[in-house]
Amino acid sequence: MNKIMSLQEMVALVPDGASLALGGSFLHRGPFAFVRELIRQGKRDLEIVKQSPGYDIDILCRAGCVKKARAGIVAMEGNFGLAPWYRRAVEKKQIVLEEHACATLTAGLRAAAFGVPFQPVGGVHGSDLPALNKWASITDPYGSGKDVWVIPAIQPDIAVIHVNEVNELGDARIYGTFNWDRIMTRAAKKVFVVAEKMETVESFRERPELTLIPSFMVQAAAIVPNGAWPGSCWPLYEVDYPEVESYMDTEGSLEAHMARAPEAKEASHA
Amino acid sequence: MPEQWSGFSFIVTNLARFIRPDEVTFSGVNSTPPMLACLLAKRAYDFDFVYINVAGGVQPTPSKIPLSSSDPVLSEGSTAIFANEDFYDLCTRGGMDLCFLGAAQVDGLGRTNVSAIGDWHNPKVRLPGGGGGAVMLPTARRAVTWRTEHSKRTMVEKLDFITAAGGMHGVVTPIAVFVKRDGRLALQSWHPESSLDEVRSRTGFAFDTDGATPTPLPTRREVEALRTLDPEGQFERDAKVALR
Repeated sequence: MNKIMSLQEMVALVPDGASLALGGSFLHRGPFAFVRELIRQGKRDLEIVKQSPGYDIDILCRAGCVKKARAGIVAMEGNFGLAPWYRRAVEKKQIVLEEHACATLTAGLRAAAFGVPFQPVGGVHGSDLPALNKWASITDPYGSGKDVWVIPAIQPDIAVIHVNEVNELGDARIYGTFNWDRIMTRAAKKVFVVAEKMETVESFRERPELTLIPSFMVQAAAIVPNGAWPGSCWPLYEVDYPEVESYMDTEGSLEAHMARAPEAKEASHA
Repeated sequence: MPEQWSGFSFIVTNLARFIRPDEVTFSGVNSTPPMLACLLAKRAYDFDFVYINVAGGVQPTPSKIPLSSSDPVLSEGSTAIFANEDFYDLCTRGGMDLCFLGAAQVDGLGRTNVSAIGDWHNPKVRLPGGGGGAVMLPTARRAVTWRTEHSKRTMVEKLDFITAAGGMHGVVTPIAVFVKRDGRLALQSWHPESSLDEVRSRTGFAFDTDGATPTPLPTRREVEALRTLDPEGQFERDAKVALR
């Protein structure tokens, strides 16, 4: 079955209120073209699940698309510091934040991936996070006497992953680190893939060990070259720092930034 | 003429001095000074250590030094990709010898707040969040943090929120190096252009000063390594570290 569709068609499949796990980390290999299309289509009340979001959660907060964030660390990174629109949205209580450590969010995703209601996680002792989130701790039932924090399952509706290459069936591979993307795809009910490039099924057959996401788990795929802009996609392109700086200008226009996006230029040429 | 410290070189170099031979040492997201410290140690010290980072790098040899400490260029030259789940699991099972973690506030026990200034539910400032902290600080064999501002706002008696406990092994600021002793942060050394009194007056918590001395000046090799990493001084300018 051919899974390839346009970015617009893919985003149209996302209902308001959906819980989305977004791949990548900070300014690197995030599904940013997908995120901008969510804004263009006016999606609302989204839940964003990501250990280290930045530009993606910030621009979605800026456009008023977010209801809840479940995250470990949120920043623009480099010299840019805090994510300004996200920060304001939390401070003004426009969104609900479920603050995690990156590994507690991962534990929740692991619980969903493993098909169990909760998952132990190392560490966390002495932190205020468990009280905040009403996490439970259990004593080792096998008698070591150790207490372990357990995190309830986190099952996103859709994991959205930006990858280097996909084939028509939906098999997908990433070059360089895959960050948290593997566990996101195993935890979510559905997987959407945005790829830089289409490759042949034959090339995947030659090197199946390079495939991070097998096609049967993927419901939809779109080809969007430079789709991680203004972030990086290793080894194809680096962060577009002048554009991130322009995005961060609070006097600047969101529409102007969105119009400079590769997928917007592509559409206007079509 | 002996080499001098700048606030920036003081932080990066003293972070590097926590790195020990043959140990597994990790630098993460939002962590430019530790990234530079790991790369400096590879150039300035004769011993080897296992440098791993949040970009999946294992003993990488990056062709350039990125602005973002999670940039995938930091896995260039690596012989493996050790992705996020892997380095967290390594840490929680006791295999991370030294881990660099960020902090907005640090208390005398070496606990950190990276969550909010003010009440968590009604924050004056919503901070980034602790990332790895709550899991890595109590499970890494040693964790070290840094602050580019040394004041009673950052080095506090009481944290607004405890993001991560377990206690830092070391803390580096523009004027001081603290190390954990008997469960509390103790002063190890102070910037030679500062003083014990200044460190005391700018720190919100009480600390032991037994054996503390002015920080030894950077060696020629430390200075040269940092210059190689930041030839144009861009990282130094961007970091905006002031002694006072």
